Amino acid sequence: MHGNTGKILNVNLIAGEIRVATLPEEYYRAYIGGSGLAAKVFWELGDLNADPLSPEAMLIFMNGPFAGLKLSGASRNSVAGRSPLTGCWGDSSCGGYFAPELRYAGYDGIVITGKANAPSMLVIEDDEVRVVSAAEYWGKGIEEVTRRIKQRYGKSYRTLAIGPAGENLVKYALILNEGHHAFGRAGFGAVMGSKNLKAIVVKAKNRDMSIAEPKKYEALRKELNSKIKDALASQVMHENGTAANLEGGVYTGDVPIRNFTSNFWAEMGEALTGGTLTERFLTKQGACAFCAIACKRVVKVEEGPFAVSEGPGPEYETIVALGSLVGSMDLAAACKAGRLCDDLGLDTISAGGTIAWAMEAFDRGDISLEDTGGVEMRWGDMETVINTVLPSIARKEGKLGALLADGSVAAAKRIGKRSIEYTAHSKGLEAPMHDPRGGGHGLALTYAVSPRGACHVATPMLFMEMGACYYPEIGFEYELEPMTDKNKPEAAVTAVELGSIENSACLCQFADREISIPEWVDLFNVVAGYGWDMNEMMRSGRRVFYIKRLMNHVYGLKAADDNLTSRMMEPARDGEPKGIEINFTGMKEKFYSLIDIDPERGIPTRRILEEYGMSEEAKRVW
Amino acid sequence: MEYWKDETEPIKAFLKLFENASKDEELNSGLKKVNQLIWFDYTEDGPNCSFNVDCRGGEIKVAAGKPEGKPDLVMSLSADDAHRSWSNKLNPVMAITRKKIRVKGSATGLLKLAPKLKKVAVIYEKTLKELGWEDKIMK
Repeated sequence: MHGNTGKILNVNLIAGEIRVATLPEEYYRAYIGGSGLAAKVFWELGDLNADPLSPEAMLIFMNGPFAGLKLSGASRNSVAGRSPLTGCWGDSSCGGYFAPELRYAGYDGIVITGKANAPSMLVIEDDEVRVVSAAEYWGKGIEEVTRRIKQRYGKSYRTLAIGPAGENLVKYALILNEGHHAFGRAGFGAVMGSKNLKAIVVKAKNRDMSIAEPKKYEALRKELNSKIKDALASQVMHENGTAANLEGGVYTGDVPIRNFTSNFWAEMGEALTGGTLTERFLTKQGACAFCAIACKRVVKVEEGPFAVSEGPGPEYETIVALGSLVGSMDLAAACKAGRLCDDLGLDTISAGGTIAWAMEAFDRGDISLEDTGGVEMRWGDMETVINTVLPSIARKEGKLGALLADGSVAAAKRIGKRSIEYTAHSKGLEAPMHDPRGGGHGLALTYAVSPRGACHVATPMLFMEMGACYYPEIGFEYELEPMTDKNKPEAAVTAVELGSIENSACLCQFADREISIPEWVDLFNVVAGYGWDMNEMMRSGRRVFYIKRLMNHVYGLKAADDNLTSRMMEPARDGEPKGIEINFTGMKEKFYSLIDIDPERGIPTRRILEEYGMSEEAKRVW
Repeated sequence: MEYWKDETEPIKAFLKLFENASKDEELNSGLKKVNQLIWFDYTEDGPNCSFNVDCRGGEIKVAAGKPEGKPDLVMSLSADDAHRSWSNKLNPVMAITRKKIRVKGSATGLLKLAPKLKKVAVIYEKTLKELGWEDKIMK
């Protein structure tokens, strides 16, 4: 096998049993790797009915075939399983440095079941794999844990760790690599916590990889790295990070404000945009493994109530989720709140979404001081967010922690008073920081049909509507108008296929935008030796989308669950998209028809499953 | 060229556009924040079809042709696409993706101006009227 190693680590924490397993080679061709291969493994081997926080739940980390290559944006990793936040299929992707080290150590992935009887850590040193005590790290923040693990084992050991939020089973707890690269979404930090697994550490002696066609690969690698590095978008993100165009987004109505109640706030745009972060707080750029873009930020806030020492800075999602979404335009506060979420182990998107919902509920009088344990939830009050709210959530302390630790949907169900109407989510996953009313109506569709819930990285639709994609080889030549439904169902089919490919190959969306479709195919062929053409690659993408849909069927989801909340669908009240309706039902019906999904059950038709070589899967659902 | 009879026309229009835009307080301030020497290169439509804007040092200077110093940013496109762009009828991201606009140098400054394109389009329409070129106004 090339690219991939063909080997998976199976770890049962109850029995303390560690086995090296191999997966059928056809799984790799059919499901690529990353979240796609994880879905296939979960479907075949997981206990689909297990509570996600029970010992029986399966937690999977999976590389793509390119992990470890010296290629920009190609060394991400996926974590996957049943999400404790949504109760349905979940996956989350992370850059950083874990994926290449795992590949060099000889593994494509780690499949974890069971629950250790005491706080534990998985240590992987090539074929020496063991579970050791993590008692000394339990209760500690991720920053300290990461630092101490590296002191103990060495700087070059790569780490995954959870914080107090994961230990306390907060349903949107994250997992961090190297203390700041995040598997942010869907709550897999809580799954690790439920297994008493505080950290995973990996170190490989060698850096060898098997490449199908080494000479062709080397030529392609140089060409792609150069394309990615020289691209205008890469240069802009290198200079000003992923928030480089935040201000532009404010003017198109893409940036959510005060729990999606507004789509325009000019002063906030200038205050929070990436250029301002660069001017005020940036000390240097950071990067994931082998990436020439280096969009990560290292920041220092010298003084004031939100002073933070030099360290990882916020990306776009964090700046907005802990900025405009909660009514703040204080960039220093976003830096500090983001750093705190990292240390506590909280997903900034769901944390921001849940806090924004609570602020609106407080503002409306739907929750009171009695509900919050005396904490006033006021728009833009970042001192309270940082000093009280986030720590309470992570430690599940007091009434406030108990109310907000399961996410906005659970909190709204608990409170009632129609407060569910102003949650912003799909399938229980709080919406990311691109408002589809301004960002593009196709985004509303892809948020809704995404298997894991509202997600901006499940597909490249945001970029497609922006105009940043042009794939004539596969028929994507549309000039999309963001605030209409024209050609959106057709674009969404391409988007879910491409998104499934990139999330399975574990490619970074910022880097792979610069690679043409024929080059994607070449990369699979020269590295993994798949011998694909474009059609076969796109079919694999579609197949990945289908299997995740089947998983959600097992969890009881139907077509009606492919939806957004009324808050996200009501016409915008101000800004560029003011008053514009989204033709959601029309887009969704056409999308189902184009992609052969049953409009009631929400799963692929039996015929299409068979056409995609998924007859066995079809038998389980039809 | 679809919109221009020769290479002098677009430059006349765009120089006047920048002269008018500089008189607008918001755009003037926005341009100064860009703080770059920019060459708008339309030479694919004629060797003299270009102009430059120098926003460095708190002043805005506009002149025909290639700048004497090395520009911080070069934007190369056709004079027709420039007309579409200033009329806010060309999605700049899409145009860059499809290589209709080629950019060399740091575009960070331009991002600051992107939100103001709508306002620029209004001034451009007035500019075309001033020049007696109502027929070139894009609807």
